[in-house]
Amino acid sequence: MAQSTRIGGAPRVDRAEVLAIPVWRIRLNLMWRGLRANAALFAENPIGLVGLGIILFFALMALAHPILMSTVWDKGTYDPVLGIDLAIPLHPTAPSATHLLGTDPLGRDILSQLMWSARSEFALGVVAALVTVVIATTVGAISAFYGGLLDTAFMRLADLIIMTPFVTILIVLSALFDVKLIELAFVVGITSGFGGAAIIIKSQALTIKVRTYIEAARVAGGSNSHIILRHIIPNLLPLSFLYMMFTVTTAIFSEAVLSFFGLLNIRMSWGLMIHTTEYTGYLLDLGKWWLIFPASLSITMLCAAFYLVGRALDEIVNPRLRRR
Amino acid sequence: MAETLLRVENLTMHYTTRAGEVSAVDDVSFTLDKGASMGLVGESGCGKTSIAATILKLLPENAEIKSGHVFLDGTDLAPMSESEIRHVRWRRISMVFQAAMNSLNPVYKVGDQIVEALETHLPQLTAQETRARVEDLFRLVGLDPKLAEQYPHEYSGGMRQRAVIAMALACHPDLIIADEPTTALDVIVQDSLLREMTELQKQLGMAMIYISHDIAVIAEVSDRIGVMYAGKLVEFGATEEIFHHPIHPYTQGLLSSFPSIIGPKRELVTLAGEPPDLINPPSGCRFHPRCTYATDVCTEKVPVYEEHRAGHFAACWHPLE
Amino acid sequence: MRGYILRRVGQNILTYFFFLTMVYVMIDAQPGDYSNIYLGDPRLTPDQREILRARLGLDKPVTERYVLWLKSFAQGDFGVSFSNYPRQVIDIIIERAPRTLVLFLTATVVAFYMGFLSGKVLAWSRGGFTEYATTIGGVSLYTVFTPWFGLMMIWFFAYTLGWFPIGKFIDPIVWQDSPLSAVVLFQRMLLTGVVSTIALFAWLLVVQRMEPSRRRVASWAGVIVVLAGILAYWLPSGVGKYAADILWHLILPIATLALISFAGTMLLTRNSMLETLREDYIMAARAKGLTEKAIRDKHAARNAMLPVVTSFVFSLAFALDGGVITETIFSWPGMGLTLLRAAVSEDIPMAIGALVFTGALALTAHLAADILYAFLDPRIRYA
Repeated sequence: MAQSTRIGGAPRVDRAEVLAIPVWRIRLNLMWRGLRANAALFAENPIGLVGLGIILFFALMALAHPILMSTVWDKGTYDPVLGIDLAIPLHPTAPSATHLLGTDPLGRDILSQLMWSARSEFALGVVAALVTVVIATTVGAISAFYGGLLDTAFMRLADLIIMTPFVTILIVLSALFDVKLIELAFVVGITSGFGGAAIIIKSQALTIKVRTYIEAARVAGGSNSHIILRHIIPNLLPLSFLYMMFTVTTAIFSEAVLSFFGLLNIRMSWGLMIHTTEYTGYLLDLGKWWLIFPASLSITMLCAAFYLVGRALDEIVNPRLRRR
Repeated sequence: MAETLLRVENLTMHYTTRAGEVSAVDDVSFTLDKGASMGLVGESGCGKTSIAATILKLLPENAEIKSGHVFLDGTDLAPMSESEIRHVRWRRISMVFQAAMNSLNPVYKVGDQIVEALETHLPQLTAQETRARVEDLFRLVGLDPKLAEQYPHEYSGGMRQRAVIAMALACHPDLIIADEPTTALDVIVQDSLLREMTELQKQLGMAMIYISHDIAVIAEVSDRIGVMYAGKLVEFGATEEIFHHPIHPYTQGLLSSFPSIIGPKRELVTLAGEPPDLINPPSGCRFHPRCTYATDVCTEKVPVYEEHRAGHFAACWHPLE
Repeated sequence: MRGYILRRVGQNILTYFFFLTMVYVMIDAQPGDYSNIYLGDPRLTPDQREILRARLGLDKPVTERYVLWLKSFAQGDFGVSFSNYPRQVIDIIIERAPRTLVLFLTATVVAFYMGFLSGKVLAWSRGGFTEYATTIGGVSLYTVFTPWFGLMMIWFFAYTLGWFPIGKFIDPIVWQDSPLSAVVLFQRMLLTGVVSTIALFAWLLVVQRMEPSRRRVASWAGVIVVLAGILAYWLPSGVGKYAADILWHLILPIATLALISFAGTMLLTRNSMLETLREDYIMAARAKGLTEKAIRDKHAARNAMLPVVTSFVFSLAFALDGGVITETIFSWPGMGLTLLRAAVSEDIPMAIGALVFTGALALTAHLAADILYAFLDPRIRYA
C-alpha cells in the first residue's frame, strides 16, 4: 500500500488567541486591508491617477479662494460677482500682474471667478452624487430583492430615463421653473439614481442575493430588512461609488451648459462666465482668449477627471476588466 | 505494417508570465500510426492540452516552442510560419476542444460554420457539393440535417458536441485531437458519444489523440496511452500493458486512485500533495516530492525516457517491474 | 422577429404615453400658469383675471385639463408660438423637424462608423502609448464642453481656414435668385436622400444572395449607380448650386456632432473586441485555419459589435443633447435651436412642442437601434 507523504501545510494557529480579539477590530482590519489593496490596484492605472490629480488641483483651488480673499485680495476688487477694478478704465483687460487671468467685461477678476466657482462645482457634485448613491442603491436592492411588479416598474422607469436626452429636459424645465443650483443638484441626483445606475446595481444585487451566505443569514433567522441592510447593501457600495463619479460628470456638464445659455439662477459659475462673454459680444473675439479658455478648460478637465477616476474604479470593481 | 503518421520528438514549449517562465511541455516524445488512437492522461495542468495546442501551433503570444520537432508524415510542423501551418490546420489535423460547445460562434448558423471550414480548405467544391457534404456529416454524427439551419443556442449540449465533432470531420483530416470532449456532458450521453467516436474513427480510418484526466475513459477509446506529469511524458505504452504492468509510480497511483465496483472493499489510495509549480519545477525527476520510492538520484538527475519493454516507454530511476 | 418588433413598438407607444404624462405634470407644476402672460397687465382686476382663466380653461380640474391636452395633442394642435406669433407650433415643427432629422441621423451614423472602425484598429494594435493616448484623447472629446468645442471648430475651420461658413442654414446672397424656397428645396434633398438609401439597401440585400466572388464588384457597382442617379437628377435641375449651399452649411455641424459622439463607441469597441478575442470560438476559428483577417472581421467583429450597439442606444440621448447645443452654436435652424430659443424666451407652447418632438425622436431612434440589435444577435429574436 502506498503511503502518503505530507508536504507543507498551513501554520498552526492558537484558537484562543484569535477568539479574544473583538469582532469590530477584525472587521476594521479587513476593511483597512481591502482598502489598501484596492488603492494599490488603483495606483497601477495612470489614467485614474491623472483624474485624481486634476480633482485635487481643483479642490485646492476651491480651498485657496477664501484664504486669498481674506489675505492678499482686496474684497472690493476681487469679489467674483460684485468686484470691479476701478483702477483700469476699460474692461476686459488682458492678463497682468494684478489680474493673473485678466478681467471680464464687467471688470471682475477671472482667476477669482474661476476659483470661487470651483467650490460650487464641488458642492453640486457632492450633493448630486450622494443623492444618486442613496437612490440607486435602494432602488437596486429593493428591485432585486422583492422582484415582481416593483421591479418591473423601476426598470421601466430606468429605461425611460436612459432614453431621454437629459440636457434637453433641463432646458425646458428651466423655462417653466426658476432653477437654482441646489435644485439642479437634486434633479441630476434623482434622475441618475433612478436611471442606468439602478439597473446595473440591481443586476449586481441579484448576483449577491443568490450567494450562499444570504441563505445562511436567512437560516440563522435574519429578517428581510436585516439581510438587505447588512449583507446586500454593503456589497453594492463599491459599484454605487463608481456610478457616483459618472453622476458628478453629468452634474458639472449640465450645470455648465445651462449656465452658458443663461438658464440657471446662479451667481457665478464657469458656464456663467462664458455666458457673460456671450451676451457682451466677445464670444467670437478669440484674441481675448482669457474670457473663454480658462472656464471652458476647467469644465472639460473637471468633467474628464471624474470620468477617468470612474473608469479606473471600474477596472477595480469589475474584475473582468482587470488586466493581469 | 502500420505507417507512422505523427512523430513528436523532444518537444519543449515554454510560456512567459509575469512570475517567470513556465515550462509547460518538457522534452516530450511519442509516435502515432495512421488510423491508430492514443490517449493522453494526467492531472489538470500537466501539459496535455498544451501539447495539443503546440502541435497545431495555436499558442498565445507569450508562448514559444523552445526545441523539438513535430513530424507529420515527415514534415516538421514546429518551424512553420502562420501562413504555412494554416494549411495543416483542420485539413490534416483537426481538434475537438474542451467544452466544445463554446467553439461555435453564437451569431452564425451551425451549418454555415461547417461550410466555412469547407470553403477555406476545399475551395474546389461547388456550393451544391458543400451543402451535400454538410448534410452527410450531420447524418454521420447522428444529427438531423435540417438542424444545420439553426443557431447554436437552439441545440442541446449533446447536440452541440456532435455538431462540433461533425465540424472536426469536415475536411476528412488524418488526425483528430479530442481534448476532454465529453467532460461537460452527463454520463449517459458521454457513454454513447464515446462509442460513436470510436466507431467513426475506425470507419473513417483517422488517427486520434484523446486527452482526458479520466483514465477509465481513455482506456475505452485508445490503443495506446501516454501518462503526463508536470509537463513531462512519464510513461507511454499499449493500454493493456499500462493497466496490468505499469512501470512509473505515478501511473500506478493514477490506476489505484479510482474506486472499482468489483472486487473486495479496500481503502482508497490517494496521491498526497499537489502538482508542482512549473516555473520552478523540482530538480531531477519532477515527481520525486510525491513519490514513495524516491531516493537521492531522483532528486539530482532527470530520469531518461527509454524503452523498458517492447513498445513500452517510461522515465524513472526506480521502475516498478 | 416580427413578433419582437411588434412588441417593442407597443412598448414604445406605452412609454411615449407615459412621457407625455410626465411632460404634462411638468407644465402643470410650474408656479402660476399661462394666464400669467396676460397678468403682466396691471390694469386687470381680479374678477377679469378669473374670467380670463376660465376662458383659457384654467379653472377646470387637473384630470380634465390633462385629457383635453392629450386630445389636442392627438390632433396635432400644440397651440400658437408666443415668440413667433401668430404661427402655429405645429407648423414650425413641420418646417424644422426634417433638418434636425438629417443632422442627427447623419452625425449618428458617421459617429458610429468612425467609432467602430477606430475601435477595431485600436484593439488590434496593442501598444502602450497608443492605448493611453487614444484613451485620453477619446475621453477628452467625450467630456469636452460642447459649446466650447463647437466654437473652436467654427474658429478653426470657418474663421481661420475659411473652408466652411460660420453658421446658419444658407447664405442669403447666394439664394437671391433662387426659384424655390429653402424649405422646399431641403425637402427635395431629403427625399433624394431617403430614396437613395432605400435603393442602396435593397441592392445590398440582392447582393447577399449572389455568389461570394461576385459580391464585392456588385456592391460597389450599386453604390456608383446610386451616386450617378443622384447627380443625374440634381445637376441639370438648375437648383443644384442651392442644394450645394445647404450641404456646405451642413458639413461643419455634422462633423462637430459626430466628433463629440464617436469617442464612446470607439473606446467600447476596443474593450469589446479585446474581450471577444478571448472567447473559445475565436480559438476554434483559428484552429480551423482561417486567416487573421477572416477571424477578426467575420467572427470577432460581429460579436464584439453587440455590446457596442447596446451602449450606442444609450448614447443616442447624449447625441440629441449634443444636437441642441450644436444647432445653437452654429445658429442652424433645426428643432434644437428652436427648443433653446423657446426656453430662453419662455415661449412655453413652442418649448413643449419641441420637447414632445425630441421625445418622439428619441424613442424612434431607440426602437430602430433595438431592432438593429435583434437583427445582429439571433439569440434575442426568439426570446
